[in-house]
Amino acid sequence: MIELKDLTKTYRNLVAVDNLNLIVPKGEIFGFIGPNGAGKTTTINMIGGILAPTSGTVMICGINMEAFPEKAKGKIGFIPERPYLYEKLTGMEFLKFIADLYGVGEDVFLKKSQEKLDMFSLSDWSDDLIESYSHGMKQRLVMAAALVHDPEVIIVDEPMVGLDPLAIKMVKNLFRSLAKQGATIFMSTHTLKVAEDICDRIGIIHKGSLIASGTPEDLKRDANEIDADLEQVFIRLTLE
Amino acid sequence: MKDVITLLTPRILSFKGTGFSKDNRGGLFKRLLFGTMGLIFLGGIIAVSLRVLTYFKEIAELGDILALKLLSMVLLTFFFLLVFSSILTSLSKLYLSRDLSLVHSMPVPSYKVFIARWIESTVDSSWMVIIYTLPVFISYGLVYQAGPFFYFNMVMTLLSLSIIASGISSVLIMTAVNFLPASRIRSIFIFIGLCFFLVLFFAFRFLRPERLVDPEAFATALVYLKTLKTPAPPYLPSTWAFDSIRAFFVGNVSEGMFHVALSWSFAGALVFMAIIIAEALYFKGLSKTRTAKARLFHFKAPGSFFLKFLSRPVRAFAVKEIKTFFRDQTQWSQLFLIAALIVIYIYNFNVLPLEKAPIKTVYFQNLLSFLNMGLAGFVLTAVTARFAYPAVSAEKEAFWLVKSAPIPLKNYLWIKFMIYYFPLLMLTEILIVATNILLQVAPFMMGLSIINIFFMVPGVVSMGIGLGAAYPDFKSENPAQTVTSFGGLFFMMVCAGYIGAVIIIEAGPVYHLFMSGIKETDLSVFEWIWIIGSFAIVFLIYIFAIVLPMRFGERKLIELLI
Repeated sequence: MIELKDLTKTYRNLVAVDNLNLIVPKGEIFGFIGPNGAGKTTTINMIGGILAPTSGTVMICGINMEAFPEKAKGKIGFIPERPYLYEKLTGMEFLKFIADLYGVGEDVFLKKSQEKLDMFSLSDWSDDLIESYSHGMKQRLVMAAALVHDPEVIIVDEPMVGLDPLAIKMVKNLFRSLAKQGATIFMSTHTLKVAEDICDRIGIIHKGSLIASGTPEDLKRDANEIDADLEQVFIRLTLE
Repeated sequence: MKDVITLLTPRILSFKGTGFSKDNRGGLFKRLLFGTMGLIFLGGIIAVSLRVLTYFKEIAELGDILALKLLSMVLLTFFFLLVFSSILTSLSKLYLSRDLSLVHSMPVPSYKVFIARWIESTVDSSWMVIIYTLPVFISYGLVYQAGPFFYFNMVMTLLSLSIIASGISSVLIMTAVNFLPASRIRSIFIFIGLCFFLVLFFAFRFLRPERLVDPEAFATALVYLKTLKTPAPPYLPSTWAFDSIRAFFVGNVSEGMFHVALSWSFAGALVFMAIIIAEALYFKGLSKTRTAKARLFHFKAPGSFFLKFLSRPVRAFAVKEIKTFFRDQTQWSQLFLIAALIVIYIYNFNVLPLEKAPIKTVYFQNLLSFLNMGLAGFVLTAVTARFAYPAVSAEKEAFWLVKSAPIPLKNYLWIKFMIYYFPLLMLTEILIVATNILLQVAPFMMGLSIINIFFMVPGVVSMGIGLGAAYPDFKSENPAQTVTSFGGLFFMMVCAGYIGAVIIIEAGPVYHLFMSGIKETDLSVFEWIWIIGSFAIVFLIYIFAIVLPMRFGERKLIELLI
């Protein structure tokens, strides 16, 4: 599970994330939405251990990220918005690199890597250099790599960018199935339909503060828009 | 023309905008530092050029011939450097830049895009060559007391040569792109360009231009004079430039103007031809290059087998580093250049006229060997600057993988350190041992050199990795270029200080130890205290040089926002 306590990040005079408190329990898919520049990616980077908070704490499965960063990171599968990878490695070599970093056993790796490559339709290109991959293929490879060590927590920034409709459907089903198996998923997205479809709870961040949080129904109630869709709720809450 | 200017606007505005960037903290200090270093360098070139030319001028009759021969060689080298630089820049500007898709989607004919790109390429490939050769030509003007026309003509000549070099390169590139396999164009060009450069480099060095000032090296005075007076090929643009400058020396303005006009008319014709070719070939070639990249050679990169003994996360980084290094063709070119550098370095020691030295040879050989530690240290700095310094920046935007990995940044930096430490240690030891063998130094000096280098190398590598981590540039298309940034300059200055300090502190004690060995006399207690104290200080410097930069780099990387 993920626990954020008084999480704050400031860049000189700008408060990017302001006193964020949140608990995402085990097995939940939490959608994190907000306008551009609201603080979504900053929050995600702090949860992933890529960025140190100015104050506050990030707990991953009960492990304090600041005190035990390596242990906490070992529990996470991180999928960034833009799939920047080592272009001179092949897809398979990249998976091996990640598996070695996360301590996945050799035998497990062989099985897992093939399974993930098949799942993300990358088997035919596994021996090609990543520099020859399309954007969507790189995005799929990042996802495959993030899952190769069976993480307990999955942090995803804009998971559907660059994916074709088939892949989007596959990823949605995959996330649901992983959550059922006990994985905690924290997902930032602008695709409100995806958030509405698969998230158990949704949080709306605006100007660095969490302005609303709950199930889609809770949010509609908060916004007095019972019959509206999530898009209208989002517009209503962020324009206030 | 309006379209061309519009296409150049983003570049001009970006150049103007660099001073206003929010991240430009300490910009004034950096500019002052760069400015001062640049001026010192230019001053050094002027001082050396003036010294050489004044020396030539003092030699009756022969001096002017020597000076002109040198000028002809400088112009020829200048021209080929420009062509080499232009080939790589044109390829990048015309076919590989990231913004080409945007530019070609605009309602502008492709030949106009070509003109804009060609102008950029000409400026980018020639400004530095011009700035650093200008002092040589100015020195000629000063020593031979040339009038203002000489300087005007010099600028016009260098400009025309730059345009010609850039024109030739763009025509070559546009033609070749249409015939070479598209997915391997970049690799092939880098390869061809490099071979061309290496041939030139070796040809120039093995001609031993220093012999020109040593008439004894030739069988007879006649052969010597004949060698000097051999005219340069008349079809080379550098010959027109030479003829023009020479004519201005002797005050023959009309002849000088004729040759510079010849150069400009060729430049004009070439540009015109390049535009016509661009209209026919540029877009066609560009479309051909828009395909998936392919490897020039398929081979299994070394690494994983020999690294089995490492822990898995460490091995993961080591294997990744080795594979990405060997698969990046731009690195090969650098490896070839390093190999050339080593050959030339050792060759220079081989042809040293030790027997003509005015001081006792045994002493002189060992003095050279001692100073050679400093020289090898500077070679090591240059190689470290090229390979180890950009090692962190080479992660490029994939650095998020390192930050999100369950490995401390400290370990990550030490892995990088180890990867570069062993090859660089071997390289420097080879340089030192080979040159010491050629110098036939005493066993004491050989041992001292080997041990000193063994301890000096980790400090330099640590500074490379640590300062490279403290001043990374993950957005650079070519991380090797990060060495020209503030951090790179800082690294080189710190290294120079480090090597200089070690050599200076050791010089006195080593001299006393060496002389006592030769004279077979005992050292006094005071001398022993001095020697042990000096070596202890040097040892402390070695330790600090290893530890401090790595800690500094680690701290900066932790604070880094990505």
